Amino acid sequence: MLQLFYIGSLSDAWVIFPKMSAEAKKSIDNLLLQGLLWRGGSAPALTGRPVLPSGFASLDESIGGGWPRGALVELLSEGPGLSLLLPALAAMSREARWLAWVNAPWLPYAPALAARGVDVSRVLLIRGRDGRQSLWAAEQALRSGNCAAVMFWPQHISTARARRLQLAAEEGDCLGVLFRSRKLVRQSSMAALRLEVQPSGEKLEVHVLKRPAGWGGRRLLL
Amino acid sequence: MMQWLGLYFPDLPLDVFWSGETDTPLAVTRRRKGRDIIDRCNVSARQQGIRPGMPLNAALALYPGLHLHERDAKGEQQRLEAIAAWAWNYSSRISFDPLLLLLEVGGSAKLFGGIDILLERLCTDTRAPVAVEYHALAPSPGAAALLARLRPGCRVGATRELREALGDIPLAQLTRDARLLNLMQGIGLSSLGDALDLPRPELARRVGQEALRLLDRLLGRAPDPRPLWQPPARFHQSLLLLAEIGQAPALQFPARCLVEALCAFLHSRDAAVQQLHWRFLHRDAPPSQLDQGMLTPSNQAGHLLELFRQHLENLQLPEAVVEMELRVDAWQAADKIHGDLFAPARHEDQGFLERLRARLGEDSVRGLQGRPDHRPEKRWRYRDPLPAREDTPCREVFSPGETGVPLWLLPRPRRLRQRNGQPWHEGCLQLRAFSRRIETGWWDGEDVARDYYRARNPAGQELWVYRDRRSGHWYLQGVFE
Repeated sequence: MLQLFYIGSLSDAWVIFPKMSAEAKKSIDNLLLQGLLWRGGSAPALTGRPVLPSGFASLDESIGGGWPRGALVELLSEGPGLSLLLPALAAMSREARWLAWVNAPWLPYAPALAARGVDVSRVLLIRGRDGRQSLWAAEQALRSGNCAAVMFWPQHISTARARRLQLAAEEGDCLGVLFRSRKLVRQSSMAALRLEVQPSGEKLEVHVLKRPAGWGGRRLLL
Repeated sequence: MMQWLGLYFPDLPLDVFWSGETDTPLAVTRRRKGRDIIDRCNVSARQQGIRPGMPLNAALALYPGLHLHERDAKGEQQRLEAIAAWAWNYSSRISFDPLLLLLEVGGSAKLFGGIDILLERLCTDTRAPVAVEYHALAPSPGAAALLARLRPGCRVGATRELREALGDIPLAQLTRDARLLNLMQGIGLSSLGDALDLPRPELARRVGQEALRLLDRLLGRAPDPRPLWQPPARFHQSLLLLAEIGQAPALQFPARCLVEALCAFLHSRDAAVQQLHWRFLHRDAPPSQLDQGMLTPSNQAGHLLELFRQHLENLQLPEAVVEMELRVDAWQAADKIHGDLFAPARHEDQGFLERLRARLGEDSVRGLQGRPDHRPEKRWRYRDPLPAREDTPCREVFSPGETGVPLWLLPRPRRLRQRNGQPWHEGCLQLRAFSRRIETGWWDGEDVARDYYRARNPAGQELWVYRDRRSGHWYLQGVFE
């Protein structure tokens, strides 16, 4: 039985386990190939998983190239956060797919979206009557393949439910964004990418809590 | 040559009642000589020893839990019309007999490549609302009806063969006129064959012209004009629920009968519907209604039922349902909905939006659109997300440099409290920049005169507020980020 420890750099593995069987090496290679092995540090994205440039170079650099497609992103914030997504939303609105807003706190103001290059005709506003309905709607939208992005402001969401959303995002090749409270920073999460966002003067301070195939921990000002 | 196809549905009186489980013993009754007797019963009732013709009391003594209904002539006729709507695919000349449909197929057979193919297709048609088990073919409608009832499967191609086919059918089937029947039986006739063997003048002399006229019609020697069925202008059918249904989701099961009847109706017209009206009747409470709208017309039972199921999620029933109705007032040609070759993705798109709308309600799934107006609250409006592809991009409405506006808008401006003359929202607001002055709307009676500012509250939130220059009140209208 092979036990995996955190290894500073993967090439070291061969040093640590010099007598590792060829078979074990092969299975590590497999894990690497499939992106199942999580590598710390600033390793480049291993998986070749498609990303969508965020429009902020320093952010892209810190989150592995851009917003992950077909995955769930969590933005922990007490308000702002949407503006981080706008350049990507503008790019996605040129696809023939919807940009769905599920239970947004207010109304996205059409002229402001248009001014940032978002094609407003792709905006789909969805509102559930209660938490259960909203979750259902978000999952449907993620899974359908008809949405390029689904932004969801859940009231409460269990880990199991978040896992379902993650799977739905993969299935629908959709960028799923959960907007949640900063109070949840310490909770574990299913999301592939977690960012804590708070205003800092005129700018936004972004704290990368978790990212695909890499360590979090970086802070940046945008 | 005329060829009539008789389709006999002996179980129709039972079929009009939808019983929750098919193995519930069920019987329908009718009155005979002042007594209620069992008219028909299903297999489960037969297993309990119940037989047609049995007095009601005897049947109840055998099986007290028997579900009983009086025969519902109106329901049967409705049901027969639903079948006729489907049969319209095979013939445009249809007329009714009790529990029977008569189709003139001599004309339409050519379209199908012969009567054999037509019959085969008709009997194996999966869209049929009920199974076609009893049928007969004859040159006259009267004979087709008789044979379908008494000699199912019988096919008589030529008039001269009719005599033989009808020969041993009891005379009582010729007429319900008891006087005439008595007269004929009085001279020793017991079957149709007996009557046909007598020389015509002899028969006429002994029992009257009426008997001759009936026989001539039966044999196709005299015209037998029958009112032809006209397809109804709209679809309206109801279904009595034998077992009351208290839970809305359970309504999907009986709904299938109605939806299938509707689809038969639609297919016969090559039509599709966009709006279904459901009504659920209760014992005491006023009926519940459900309008099932679809984004595009459909005539697929599976699709209609799937959406109905979603709608049921939102249906609140005040009481159990005892009867349900489906009504459709308008439809359109189905061919119009197939032709969209260039947007194959759209159907999926529609399915997705439809599913959401069915469950959440129409007002909960909307698109956005800009409007040329200076008042922020009128600068946008909701739009139906569906015709998205045909729309001209609404970006045109926006001037490119509309900056300094917030990303978020409150659905309605919210009046702010004031403290010491300062607007207040989760703390005293600090006005940071004058944004714009808006004076407009005098033409539609909603004129405004406002000064907009960018403000910040102690929590660091950037807000878009305005002061109404007439009243001096402050309002919050948007949130920056």
